[in-house]
Amino acid sequence: MLSVNQFSLTLGQQTLIQGLSFQIQPGEVLSIMGPSGIGKSSLLHFLSGTLNRSLNASGQVYLDKQALQDRPTNKRKVGLLQQMPLLFPHMSIIENLLFAIPEHMPSKTRQQKALQALEKLSIPDKANALPSELSGGQQARVALLRTLLAEPDYLLLDEPFSKLDPALRRDVRAFVLEQIRQSNIPALLVTHDPEDAKAMQGPCLDLDPLK
Amino acid sequence: MPTKYRRMTTGLICALLLLPILAGLVGTLLPAFHYFPPLGENKFSFAAWQNLFSNTEFFASLKLTLITGILASIIALWLALALLAWGYEKAFFRPIENLLAPILAIPHAAIAIGLVFLLSPSGWLVRLFSPWLTGFERPPNWISVQDPYGLSLIFALVIKEMPYLLFVMLASMKSIQARDSLQACQSLGYGRFTAWRKVLIPQLYPLIRLPLFIVISFSLTVVDLALIIGPNTPSTLAVTLFRWFNDPDLAMRFNASAGAISLMLVIVFVLAGWELSHRFLAKLTRAERSNGKRRGLSDHLLSLGAMLACFSLLIGLLALVILPIWSLTKRWRFPDVFPATWTLDNLERATPLLMELTNNTLLIALVSTLLASVISLIMLEIKRVSHGSSQYTSNRPSHVFDWLIYVPILLPQIGFLFGLHVLLIHLNLNGDLIAVMMLHFLYVLPYVYLTLKNPYLAYHQAYLEQANRLKPCVWRNYLTVKLAMLKPALFTAFAIGFSVSVAQYLPTLIAGEGRYSTLTTEAVTRAASGDRKQVGSMALLQTLFPIFVFWLALVVPPRWTKWRLAFKSLFIRTTRA
Repeated sequence: MLSVNQFSLTLGQQTLIQGLSFQIQPGEVLSIMGPSGIGKSSLLHFLSGTLNRSLNASGQVYLDKQALQDRPTNKRKVGLLQQMPLLFPHMSIIENLLFAIPEHMPSKTRQQKALQALEKLSIPDKANALPSELSGGQQARVALLRTLLAEPDYLLLDEPFSKLDPALRRDVRAFVLEQIRQSNIPALLVTHDPEDAKAMQGPCLDLDPLK
Repeated sequence: MPTKYRRMTTGLICALLLLPILAGLVGTLLPAFHYFPPLGENKFSFAAWQNLFSNTEFFASLKLTLITGILASIIALWLALALLAWGYEKAFFRPIENLLAPILAIPHAAIAIGLVFLLSPSGWLVRLFSPWLTGFERPPNWISVQDPYGLSLIFALVIKEMPYLLFVMLASMKSIQARDSLQACQSLGYGRFTAWRKVLIPQLYPLIRLPLFIVISFSLTVVDLALIIGPNTPSTLAVTLFRWFNDPDLAMRFNASAGAISLMLVIVFVLAGWELSHRFLAKLTRAERSNGKRRGLSDHLLSLGAMLACFSLLIGLLALVILPIWSLTKRWRFPDVFPATWTLDNLERATPLLMELTNNTLLIALVSTLLASVISLIMLEIKRVSHGSSQYTSNRPSHVFDWLIYVPILLPQIGFLFGLHVLLIHLNLNGDLIAVMMLHFLYVLPYVYLTLKNPYLAYHQAYLEQANRLKPCVWRNYLTVKLAMLKPALFTAFAIGFSVSVAQYLPTLIAGEGRYSTLTTEAVTRAASGDRKQVGSMALLQTLFPIFVFWLALVVPPRWTKWRLAFKSLFIRTTRA
């Protein structure tokens, strides 16, 4: 379970978010909505440990009773999915997947896991293709699976559907929810599209500008 | 790159760049005031300056330097602007743009040697038109290269500098939104050249000021080019000083040091004068720009310049073509257009020497460029971290590195290399390969840094951040994700650094004390010998290596991943079978 206690965010003199608290159960997606510039993305950066130094944040983050807020990013086991799929253009699809699979596993298992992921995407023939040879929807799905293969403890989603065309969005949303449930980890989605929040079938928080 | 100790590294790199230069400057400044303990002189005096100012050769050399350096810079700027104004955004101009980088890679000594082969009285140009047009059965009695007025030197400088300026200008065209301005002007009925003269050139000039200063400083102080194709009696100031520094009479060193200091002052004055005349000219033409005339007489200056630019590019190309011809010549009597008999003997005879020279050249170039690439990456990473990663070139604040990097290339080599030599003797590094490599590094680093700067800072850091989230190996991710994605820029920067190293003459000579000859030093030294077959072979090799590396930089990065995957699948299939 991921819990955030009394999160506040200030930029200079201006307070953007005050005293935000929430909890996310494993396999559940909490959606956070709100107009742009309100600090949604900064919340994600706070949770992943990459917050810009010009912003001031306070509050506690717990993952199953473990405090996270003082750990550096690479010690947090956090997965982040953004608008851009960020597949490495100089690696084939299977290399992109293998990149994420932890190294302590035997190489046969790693290979199998990557092939399973490709099966899941129903593109086993694209193993040696380059990311640029895939469609936008396929890239988004590969990016999600790559993130999950790294076995993160929790997942952050930063408007991952906004760059996809509407017809594709529905499929990708369903795919994302299904994978998160299978991995059984808490996930936080930041979006300004109510459809996204609805499709995630979880609780939804609306952030309003502070007066 | 996870750089800790940012401040300390910044300080170390600054010291690495500045200390040798400062040591060199002090090593030149003190002897100029007659302080030189190695020769038993430890009392300051103005004797060197008195000697210098009573020396007629000094003034004759200085005059020649000013004429050739300033004229060459003005003509190179004029021709580059004209060529750009004429060809910009036209279909036929693309191939010229793509050719610029390899042209820049050609060592200038090789071009100068080719020009001598081409333009001398017995050269290719006269042969091409003899005897059917000129009636010459033997070489005419002209002084067409190394002429006392330095015309051939000016010509060589223009051929070398014009492509560089053109390259710099093309890189700046986007930031002044040239295409939109040009269209706006043309829809108002302005002619192409008038639009350039009134609208684009005034915007372009501030962006190319610094590269232009490099060109001026180079033209006023170049040694190797002037040795090959410049006049002898008197020679340009840099060459005269070079001779004085090498004079068996060690007392000449005092005069030479004073002369080197004055050459540096001359550069400062010329640059200041250049800037003043630019302001004056800008004021003068200000009213004319908005007088509404759609055409003007001075447009013809641009069209004439474009023609001259094409002509000089053609001559430069011929100068390169003649190099392999001479290296394969057995018998070539005047006025035949081509050799009567061809042979590989020249190359074969010179092979042991050429092998040794090639070894030295490649070893020095590879080591110094690799080192420069690593240091450049560290510098750029420090710059990126200390300013946050802004994706936009324009609002990036400048870092101490951004001006520091220009110091080695703006200062004249003759001004501090001999002073630095004294330091090398103290450190017992004179004539050492390490010293040669370090001096090359000093000249390679600025070019590698400047080439790498924009692509490196424009890199989309989110890829690396994502990689670090997926796999907590920060160093490995930096190599396998960030650097791997920057491959094209890295290859290009390496090729440029490599070609800069191959072209170095004075640093190799001074630090190596003649013990380590490269293709360049040997070709320059022998250029006057008249053995065209051997000099041609050296100049040819000197040209081939940089072009080959440039070709690799162009061809390999876009295909790398495809080849790597093909190789991998081949390997996997064979192991399975």
